[in-house]
Amino acid sequence: MSDFHELIKSFPKTREYVRDFFVYGFKTRNEFKHKSPRTYDNERRRLESWLHPFVRKDHLSQGANISLAIDSNLLDTNPLFRVWKTKSFTDNDIVLHFFILDLLQKGSKMTAEEITDCLLTDYETLFDIQTVRRKCNAYWKEGLLQKEKNGKKFFYFLDNSLSLWLKSNENVFDGLAFFQMAGHLGIIGSQLTDQFDRPNRTFRVKHSFFVHTLEDEILLQLLEAVSQKKSVSLTIKSSKKDITNTAVCVPLQIFISTRSGRRFLCGYVFRNKRFTCFRLDTIKNVSLLEKIETYEELQEKLNRNRRHLWGVSFQGGERQHLDKLTLTLQILESEESYILDRLKREGRGGTITKTGQDIYQYEIEVFDCNEMLPWVRTFIGRILSLECSAKSVEQRFYQDLETMYQMYQIDED
Amino acid sequence: MELFSEIYNCYYQVLRHLLCSQTALTLQQIRGQICKEGFAESMLSVIPKLEQGDWNLFQKDGELFYSKLSSPLILPVSGLQKSYLKALLSDPRMQLFLNQKQIESLGQMLSEVPPLWTQEQFFYCDRFTDGDPYEDETYRQNFRTLLTAQKNRQYADIDYNSPKGTRVHHHYVPARLEYSVKNDKFRLLALKDRNDHRMKLEILNISRIHSVRLTNRTLDSQVDLNGLIQNSYYREPLKLHIVNKRNALERAMLHFANYEKNTTKIDETTYECLIYYNQTMETELLIEVMSFGPMLTVVGNEKFLKSLKERLQRQRNQANGAASFR
Repeated sequence: MSDFHELIKSFPKTREYVRDFFVYGFKTRNEFKHKSPRTYDNERRRLESWLHPFVRKDHLSQGANISLAIDSNLLDTNPLFRVWKTKSFTDNDIVLHFFILDLLQKGSKMTAEEITDCLLTDYETLFDIQTVRRKCNAYWKEGLLQKEKNGKKFFYFLDNSLSLWLKSNENVFDGLAFFQMAGHLGIIGSQLTDQFDRPNRTFRVKHSFFVHTLEDEILLQLLEAVSQKKSVSLTIKSSKKDITNTAVCVPLQIFISTRSGRRFLCGYVFRNKRFTCFRLDTIKNVSLLEKIETYEELQEKLNRNRRHLWGVSFQGGERQHLDKLTLTLQILESEESYILDRLKREGRGGTITKTGQDIYQYEIEVFDCNEMLPWVRTFIGRILSLECSAKSVEQRFYQDLETMYQMYQIDED
Repeated sequence: MELFSEIYNCYYQVLRHLLCSQTALTLQQIRGQICKEGFAESMLSVIPKLEQGDWNLFQKDGELFYSKLSSPLILPVSGLQKSYLKALLSDPRMQLFLNQKQIESLGQMLSEVPPLWTQEQFFYCDRFTDGDPYEDETYRQNFRTLLTAQKNRQYADIDYNSPKGTRVHHHYVPARLEYSVKNDKFRLLALKDRNDHRMKLEILNISRIHSVRLTNRTLDSQVDLNGLIQNSYYREPLKLHIVNKRNALERAMLHFANYEKNTTKIDETTYECLIYYNQTMETELLIEVMSFGPMLTVVGNEKFLKSLKERLQRQRNQANGAASFR
């Protein structure tokens, strides 16, 4: 392990390991078949190093396995953010980072030549001008430094006005503490709270999936494509089979399921003239293609279609355009009004009709009623009947129920 | 604009703290800081770089390290971070934290910056529709008062309407504000004095709070919040067997990723998953388990298994009744 480095150059390789350890948490060394043992050992050692307070080791008969013991009820931050803070760098990178920012702290505007001179005189550190200029330009691109032209020369300087504003408006850090836990791209909020030394000590979050952060680089590229109204080429690795393929689509919206913990890109595929959802965790690469002139029309079309979407499927198993599902429930009005509340807030626009004493009927038309079954099952114990125009859905529900009766030995009274 | 960039590296953060230290540092102090903030093996990389001068950031004098920086470093906000802040400005929840004047002021500073996303670029398929009223001024006021109390460890006088309809009026110390992404609601994890001078943890929906007033009393003793939460967990976890059909394993692992769990493979197709939970999570967990249908088998604990069987028994009786009714 002489070549072991704690920091890494590129993120995607590590992403899958972290996901496997975090989401599954039962894979032993032997089960990472597609990776060499040495790669596995190095990746495991890195994970243990980055996430050491959360790593659990179990010794099983099949071999030792490590997993991440992460209970979101107990945490003020997303431990997986640490994975984003592991980018490797050179000796020059870190030295230039601190000295250039220190040098420009007082508000002076300097050329790359002047900065290079000062690095030698003030910090006793010798750099060539090209290296300094390259770093200044890289920081200008990142928005850390400002650059202006005066005559033939470029001057670099710092604009700390926003940093100072943030420091003098403390309550903005409460917002950042919250959004880094509960919002999109929380890793950026975390970077800001790190930078200003204002860690979250106030908020906890439920029903947030920490693992989502691993897809944030992909999400960022997709949002860029959406903003620029450009189509994209996606490299997708199937979650079920070990197959990689490519899809071209017009990215329109990010769909999030708070129940299943999945996030999707909803895009329009010209090739088959359909909306399709791609799971973000299966997208390995995104390339931006050309601008789409009909982007607004497609977005409008999606908005119209979304009314009949239960989850992410735009087409059911049977041929009809829309399936109708009718669920009849017994709800004791005197003591179970919370079930009615559930139907209203979770029913996604379905109609609710009282059809008798303590009997309510819920009706909805959606593209794919199959997607409704997990939700329908949450009413087990109160379901008087389930009818669906897609008979396969009805059959599956009753078959599954019968299987459950057998599994738990539930006899007829 | 890179998300995975060295400027956000953990080592940079550790070094910034060391370099901004007002006094000279011993190697021992440097090691201490690396242990506190770095990764488990960071010491092995950082210390040699400092000692050998590859990172020529300190002036070494005998055993002491003096920072070469001339002033406390204020780091600029990167372009990516600015775009992030701009996106947050259009989130209605931001108004819980910033007043109108601050929102306008920040908006002005970011006027040239494109937001990283807009609200309509995201769609929550299954979020509940009765989220908290973030636009409501009383709600915002209550929220801010609770925030102040939480930070100052102050007791707050809270007038609350419980879900059962009873009016509750007590003094609480807000321990944390908990947000549910699914419910789009905030709850207060609140500490309340017990008769035996210890504290107990209660959970209040913030939207059910009528009024909240700060008191002059503060909590002086340390309370182990996580200890209170962990002590509330049942000793016996929920024990599930998952047969890997219809992609159930992957779905279940992601679905329950929120909970502290431990999964082991027990044969070629079956996995055992232990999930730790408490009484407040019980109904929700039961519903989540039922949503998987026969793909998951509950094998313990007894209490959970009993609740599940009761639901199934009721369903079976219900179905029979409905058949005869038809």
